[in-house]
Amino acid sequence: MNIPFIEKGFIPSDPVAPDSLKGVPRLQTNPSRWQGDNWKDFVQDLRSAGIDVLENRSDCSVFVTDAGGLAYGLPHGIVRPDSAHDVSGVLKAAQTHGVPVTTRGGGLTTEGESVAFGGLLLDMSSMNRVLKINPGTMTVRTEAGIFWHQLAEVLRREGLDYLSAPLNLTASVGGTLGVGGIDVNSPRLGCSADQAVALQVVTPTGEIVECSEHENPEIMERVLLGYGQFGVITEATLKIRKFTPITIRYFYYSSLRIAIEDLQFIAENDASDYSGILTILDRAITLLVAFDSDERETRFNSCWKRRLRGHGEAGFGLHMAGYYILHPWRFQEAAYIAGRRFKLFPEFSRTEFMRDSRIIDRTVVFSQAVWKFWGGPQMVIPDLSSNAEKFAEAVERGNAVCRKYFRYYTLYCVGIKLRGRLPRYEMSCIPPDANGIAYGCEFEPMLRDTHYSRDYLQSFKNEIYDIGVNMGLSYYRFGGMMKGYVRRVFGDELVDKHLAMKRAADPAMILNAEVIF
Amino acid sequence: MSHTRKARARAIQGGAAIEDIAASIDSCLLCGSCEPACPEGIGIKAMNIKQRRMLNMSRAGYPSWYPKIERTTAGANGRPLSRTIILLAGEHLRSDSEMISSVLEILGGNKKAALAEDDGRDIAAALEAGLPVTQDRIDNFIKPLSRARTLVVSEGLLHRPLMKWLPDSKVIGAGEALLSSASVRKTLGSEDLYVIESRSYHSDYKRLVGFYDRLRKETGCRMNLDLQRIAIPTGASSLQAKEDIEAAGCLEQAAWILKGRSVRRIVVEDLADREVFRRVTDVPVIHVGQLSQDN
Repeated sequence: MNIPFIEKGFIPSDPVAPDSLKGVPRLQTNPSRWQGDNWKDFVQDLRSAGIDVLENRSDCSVFVTDAGGLAYGLPHGIVRPDSAHDVSGVLKAAQTHGVPVTTRGGGLTTEGESVAFGGLLLDMSSMNRVLKINPGTMTVRTEAGIFWHQLAEVLRREGLDYLSAPLNLTASVGGTLGVGGIDVNSPRLGCSADQAVALQVVTPTGEIVECSEHENPEIMERVLLGYGQFGVITEATLKIRKFTPITIRYFYYSSLRIAIEDLQFIAENDASDYSGILTILDRAITLLVAFDSDERETRFNSCWKRRLRGHGEAGFGLHMAGYYILHPWRFQEAAYIAGRRFKLFPEFSRTEFMRDSRIIDRTVVFSQAVWKFWGGPQMVIPDLSSNAEKFAEAVERGNAVCRKYFRYYTLYCVGIKLRGRLPRYEMSCIPPDANGIAYGCEFEPMLRDTHYSRDYLQSFKNEIYDIGVNMGLSYYRFGGMMKGYVRRVFGDELVDKHLAMKRAADPAMILNAEVIF
Repeated sequence: MSHTRKARARAIQGGAAIEDIAASIDSCLLCGSCEPACPEGIGIKAMNIKQRRMLNMSRAGYPSWYPKIERTTAGANGRPLSRTIILLAGEHLRSDSEMISSVLEILGGNKKAALAEDDGRDIAAALEAGLPVTQDRIDNFIKPLSRARTLVVSEGLLHRPLMKWLPDSKVIGAGEALLSSASVRKTLGSEDLYVIESRSYHSDYKRLVGFYDRLRKETGCRMNLDLQRIAIPTGASSLQAKEDIEAAGCLEQAAWILKGRSVRRIVVEDLADREVFRRVTDVPVIHVGQLSQDN
């Protein structure tokens, strides 16, 4: 081993700097646990302010991990706030005593972003009331700890719907607005964060601030897509619309690239109300398009449908049969694809969710299918987000990584309409070079029957994330255990700019401190 | 803090003793709505009952709402009833003799249907509380039922056990049984809110979600189903509600079922729900057995 001689008194460059381990798998680990020096004084202050702190092991253990199931940590205590004043009290005391505060909604993070490694966990799911539905302005004001599914239940009683939300029944509004929120209608309506009209935010120093694009816009732009660094969203005013049942059509492909090109064609021409790609491995690729109205569907059929290169189901079935007859050694793969198709597709047409060949309602149908067929006890879904030009290559490279690590996996691709170049997009899931529509792909191994080590899964994720660094992309999930990638993908200058803003807003660096910086 | 089933599992994995999560275990009304919503298909209700049993072994005293078990002896050594349909009326229906007659008439009259003297309510209560039920008691309970082709069971908690104990018999709820009659169905309309009894519905969800969907299409009535087609429970038949209907959250649940809905009449499958809805609305509330009389 050649160890260079170092002169006494000379400090060499850091041998473990973020970019010094090229080619070596970067296995991330949990942050160290906060030692809790000031915990007792902090709790005493909160209790004297009438804020209840749960410290039992049974309560704390509930939050030991997140949906990703790779990061584990225990808070010292939990507060389930009733109001913004409770959150304010917590953050003011946390600044005074230097106690880290981790916020959590549905706990659907995958990299430990909502896991507390000591300190206080703010369980926002206690703030879950719908405050006001305003059909005049077509907005709803809600507490931010509410799950999208609960919000849908309330809105549906009035015949209303939100614009876009994650395909997940237990994602919270506040958590979603902090990271983005992608739906199959995002190519048309944008991400969930872009449907927020106004927010009530508690800043890291405990001020309760109302913000919108006109009132305290700088806070609005920092908090949306801000990964919880610049405040806790306690209430949100969101755009709503009339609820409509949808019709859904499928096109089948055996080429990822062609399917992606068609997805982009649909998104860029606003040809459908909903669109996305779901795959079974990279063999059976389904492009789904859906419509809110007959008019839109008729226009799609007359103007756009014939320009798509996908097969109908029967044609694709024959194509696949031909392929596997010529490749009989891939019998198991064929059986897997057929089995999955026959289990999955009926989920989108269960009679209790159909009225006159339309789906009622997509919130549930899509979310249940996601839970059943993509989710599971452990969600390992690294992703890449890209501009239009790089997207097909990014997906193909990610697909090759999936092939290398797993026998069975799925990909989910969708577009995200952008509202110009808003400040909120800076250092977010929106790639810096995206214009008009950005695209995202999730790479999800099917883990159900096989147990993989945490290192194996982490290595898989790292290889996907390395593609992002290499191609200059972004990620939907880049915090928590993946924060080693933040500087690599965004660059020191931009990260330092945000770090300076964070230090100014959060002097004691207590709010979600382990997530990004 | 009330824990979900998954949260309870995590709490125990994290070192919590069963007593530490007693409040959460006790607060479950065993409506079963968590099961069809569970993407993993876990039998959550049975797990909750199991945890209640474990808790019973370790705690000093039972909650005040626990049953004072008084064994129903009517069925002891009883002979099998020779009817094709047997009605196990349950506590609330049993106390209304006029309603019992009406229900039996709709089910086919005395020649076809009979009322079981022993409706197993003590067994249901014991199951709900996680208390033991002896095999002798079960044998005595099912013996009179053994020749029936169809068991119409008001108490939803008994559905799954009866399916296991008497696998050759069809076990259905009172609502489904009565709605099998076209004359009953035709009295339902689009201005009715039909309140499904959640325990029986979730016990056989895959089949019943289709049954009630067909009913909705045929009659146009609204139901207490959420977006996932899960029956929103009031919890009125739970042991907790029998002690305190308000503390068990039944009124709050009923108010949520009615929120944003404009209905002319409420039709309940579970007679216990009649009282709950009458306390939160002025809209007429009737039992499904009264449908033909009400029109």
